[in-house]
Amino acid sequence: MDKVEYTEKERWLIEPKPGTAAARARDFGVDLSLTVNNLRLTPEERIKQLDSHLDGIRELRNSLRWISRVSERVA
Amino acid sequence: MKEVEKQLRLVSDFQIDCVLVGGVAATVHGSSIPTQDLDICYSRDKANLTKVVAALRSVNATLRGAPKDIPFILDEETLARGLNFTFDTDVGNLDLLGEVRGVGFYAECLVNADEIEIFKYRHRVLSLRKLIAAKRAAGRPKDLIALVELEAILEFRDSDRNKSSRDQAENTNG
Repeated sequence: MDKVEYTEKERWLIEPKPGTAAARARDFGVDLSLTVNNLRLTPEERIKQLDSHLDGIRELRNSLRWISRVSERVA
Repeated sequence: MKEVEKQLRLVSDFQIDCVLVGGVAATVHGSSIPTQDLDICYSRDKANLTKVVAALRSVNATLRGAPKDIPFILDEETLARGLNFTFDTDVGNLDLLGEVRGVGFYAECLVNADEIEIFKYRHRVLSLRKLIAAKRAAGRPKDLIALVELEAILEFRDSDRNKSSRDQAENTNG
């Protein structure tokens, strides 16, 4: 996979200075590289990406239900 | 067409007077944290309640999380008697908020909303600053993680604006 290049402006979030909100978010566990990716998109593209994530979550849930049903039958 | 897109088209097709709040508003502002429902703060005037009811009926809305035997008539009178409602619909979860904690009722949300074009329709989206106030007031664990990310986005945006102002001042001063 290609290495992501960040602009000087985006480095505000990727390499936050101590005491900033970005540093607090990073320390809280927020992956700010995902935030930067989102900020590169238009609002409409952000909604489309959210919809794709929701599809993924639904597929994962369905797979887990299927695995659970099969496991019960085997047991 | 996917779920959130369908929900946004629903509120625009029925011309519902509302402001997008909650997780979808956070996404529009750049948050990376996924959300599974559309939260809207809606105008509670009679004409708008009629539009809301028509929209909800068109997607077979039922109360979410309520026992099946609880009678619920989806009409203007019911909405006028309540304030906040959570619905299951054919296009996913849709939450109607008469009031947003930390911000206020529809009128307060409206004056603190940005107009943003999404899917060829101009939606009103609660401003980033007020969204932060709402998340802070809600104070649930899931709001706290959204809060710190939104504060970082606000700081990022403001840092850019401050830099532009500095550059402009430097250019003007020569």
